[in-house]
Amino acid sequence: MKTARTQVNLMNVPIRPLFSSLRRNPTGAVLVALQVAITLAVMINAAWIVAQRLEKLERPTGIDTRDTFEIGIVGSSRKFNVAQAESEDLAYLRGLPGVAAATVVNGILLTENGGDTDLSRDPGTNGPVVGANFLTVDDQALNTLDVPLIAGRNFRADEIRPLTKGKQTPPSEVIVTQSLARTLFPHGSALGRIIYNGDSNPLTVIGITRDFMGPQVGAPAYNTVLLPTMPGQAGLYALLVRTRPGMRDTVMREAKQHIGTAHRFGITGFSTPLAKAERQMHAGDRNTAILLTTVTALMLAVCCLGVFGLTTFNVGSRRRQIGTRRALGASKRDIVAHFMMEGALILSGGAFLGSILALVVGNWLTVHYALPRLDLVYLLGGVLALWIVGLLAAWQPARRAADVPPSVATRTV
Amino acid sequence: MLGYYIQLALRSFRRTPGLTALMAGAIAFGIAACIVTLTVYHTMSGNPIWWKNNSLYAVTMDSWDPNQSYDAAHPKLAPDMLTYRDATYLYGSNIPERKMLLSYLVGVLSGTPGLTRPVPVNTQATTADFFRMFDVPFEYGGPWSAAADRGPEPVIVLSRRENGKLFGGADSVGRTILWNRLRFRVVGVLDHWNPQPRFYDLTPAGGGSFAKSAAAFVPFEWGPTLRIWPSGTMSCWGPQTIDTYQKLLGSDCVWITMWVQLRTSAERARFLDFMNAYWAEQRAAGRFGRPRNNHLWQVSQWLRIHHVVTNDSRLLLRLAFAFLAVCLINTVGVLLAKFLRGASLMGIRRALGASRRQIFEQHLVEVALLSLAGSALGLALGALGLRGVHAMYAHSGNAYGAVAHFDPLGVLWALALAALSTVLAGLYPAWRIGRVSPVVYLKSQ
Repeated sequence: MKTARTQVNLMNVPIRPLFSSLRRNPTGAVLVALQVAITLAVMINAAWIVAQRLEKLERPTGIDTRDTFEIGIVGSSRKFNVAQAESEDLAYLRGLPGVAAATVVNGILLTENGGDTDLSRDPGTNGPVVGANFLTVDDQALNTLDVPLIAGRNFRADEIRPLTKGKQTPPSEVIVTQSLARTLFPHGSALGRIIYNGDSNPLTVIGITRDFMGPQVGAPAYNTVLLPTMPGQAGLYALLVRTRPGMRDTVMREAKQHIGTAHRFGITGFSTPLAKAERQMHAGDRNTAILLTTVTALMLAVCCLGVFGLTTFNVGSRRRQIGTRRALGASKRDIVAHFMMEGALILSGGAFLGSILALVVGNWLTVHYALPRLDLVYLLGGVLALWIVGLLAAWQPARRAADVPPSVATRTV
Repeated sequence: MLGYYIQLALRSFRRTPGLTALMAGAIAFGIAACIVTLTVYHTMSGNPIWWKNNSLYAVTMDSWDPNQSYDAAHPKLAPDMLTYRDATYLYGSNIPERKMLLSYLVGVLSGTPGLTRPVPVNTQATTADFFRMFDVPFEYGGPWSAAADRGPEPVIVLSRRENGKLFGGADSVGRTILWNRLRFRVVGVLDHWNPQPRFYDLTPAGGGSFAKSAAAFVPFEWGPTLRIWPSGTMSCWGPQTIDTYQKLLGSDCVWITMWVQLRTSAERARFLDFMNAYWAEQRAAGRFGRPRNNHLWQVSQWLRIHHVVTNDSRLLLRLAFAFLAVCLINTVGVLLAKFLRGASLMGIRRALGASRRQIFEQHLVEVALLSLAGSALGLALGALGLRGVHAMYAHSGNAYGAVAHFDPLGVLWALALAALSTVLAGLYPAWRIGRVSPVVYLKSQ
């Protein structure tokens, strides 16, 4: 017997048998709805958290990290002549054919190794202050970082203050990043303005660069101030090197070997490609995103197994009823529609409960973890996704129900 | 009876192998997630020296800028380190049973057979009591004497790892080594010692809360004596430019961690009085512009205020529990369905004289067996998951990887939790099937 109807018209599903079957044995349905609710609440919030993390991971460093590395030099004795070592190293590096640019620096970018400072528009310590990454460099810094100026000029070679008797000389010009300039001077250009670095030494902003990430010990990532003075006061300094494309590892190995034995009282302490530093910087967020996604996916899978299991059980235990309905004229599609509708009903109940739970959890996360308020698009998307996946899980057992022959009704066991 | 029930349970499993695998799998995944997150959480929040929680105290004084707090996010907290002036003054007190200072220096090691060229190592500049206060184990030798602190004498303690590199792991006590080109005598070699979290120093430049302990240890005074700039975290405020070591020692820069060991609460009160008196005296002289905030922190408090347990791991722990909850609800549902399907069989057993209690017990045994299988599978999955997490973090060079190791206590906790919750989850279905009236099922046969 082939049915003439070609569509599963859910409106034609008799409502009474649906509810009476649910009422007769509500426990299983309630348990599945509960699973759906918890899974939905977790899924929506996990997706929201992962979205925040991905956004953070996609923030550009602003630096050419692929071809850049840093190498650190440390004195093994007080007799170590830092100033001489710095100029020798720079001359050596700049002479290498694989090197595009090199500079000295007082920290390791992207790694929380370095310094930060408080800047202010007013002298003294009374005005509001802005935290900034603090880089002491020479005139090749912007070239090495491959960061363009968007206003003003670079340091001139004669502005770079040398180390004198191992002491750093305070400069009077600085270059700042765009973010820092905007934070310090929200109205109007920062160029040519004076800022103060805790002490009463005035610093003139001579250039503004596109944003890039500093060492981030405590200051915001994109707030960075560059000072034209040679680092090395504490007997250690770092060299920042940008190589020609693809030559980073070769040059780094060669430079490490040479510099390690070049100085009488100084040796190389570390060498790090900035790409590696970038990876490590992102590791926490990336791993959390991976773990959240994995556990949530497993949870969804278990939840779907629950829907699948319940429908399978219902079909199995109602074979005679199905046979009777079939014998009384219900089509195969009616049977499928019945079980799909039952699944949809349970899923909807769970989704309703889950939405409330999701909002409660979202609110709790906002209060305790300073997470931005849950975007309702995620709520709707989550409900829809779970509903569809849940129905798909109910599909296979519902199809099997349709295969129950009408003759079952006349058999005894 | 138990043997018979187990036999029945196994027969029931064989009848529905798919459903059984599904349930055991769901339990296993829930348990595995809990094992992984609980282990990480347990290691992070653990107090590695709990037995001395009531006698060890970190010392803080608020010497910071009168106009702003040290940490804008936690304005009530004083800096977690001390200035040189304050640290050396407080260290002079003889109230504490033991006391120690700590900072970091870069030390270049050379002059041993194991070294072809000089290597820089992270050196902890500290005082002799450090080793005794924190129960640091020694493989060879021991701490230096108190007199060596005062000299300072050229004595050095090596970590086990460093001794392995420098001397091939042999007893190197009494040997000489060049530390920053000066001759130092090895007085001790540590045994394995890597407390996690590294409670005694949580500063970021020291490598963070889960960093390894230092490679070498020398008396604290070597820093000032040789004027070696501290290489750990240092924070300064105020108008002065710190460009000489002499200025650093007289400045308000904080860079020294201090701990004291106090036997009784009276001793603790006396030491706090001593700090307060010093604070008042210094304030009269024009320092300490902020409100008095002298504090002695127990190890557990110290870990808490430094937020050693990251928000992410707390979040993942909660997620794991939600996951376990879903797995268990799933198990309850499937068990219920499975048991009810066998109701007609139970009807016959009841009619043949089995009591409700016996039916209940029979099903509980089945649940227990299932929970056992799920737990065993979950343990294996959890071990695998931990290895995965470890690899994930180790690959990215993050110190967090250090905490993702198989911690027996954490695993035990997770297993106990899992076993208990599955049995609890099985109680309702077993009870439900026990309540089934035999008449209904016998009638339809």
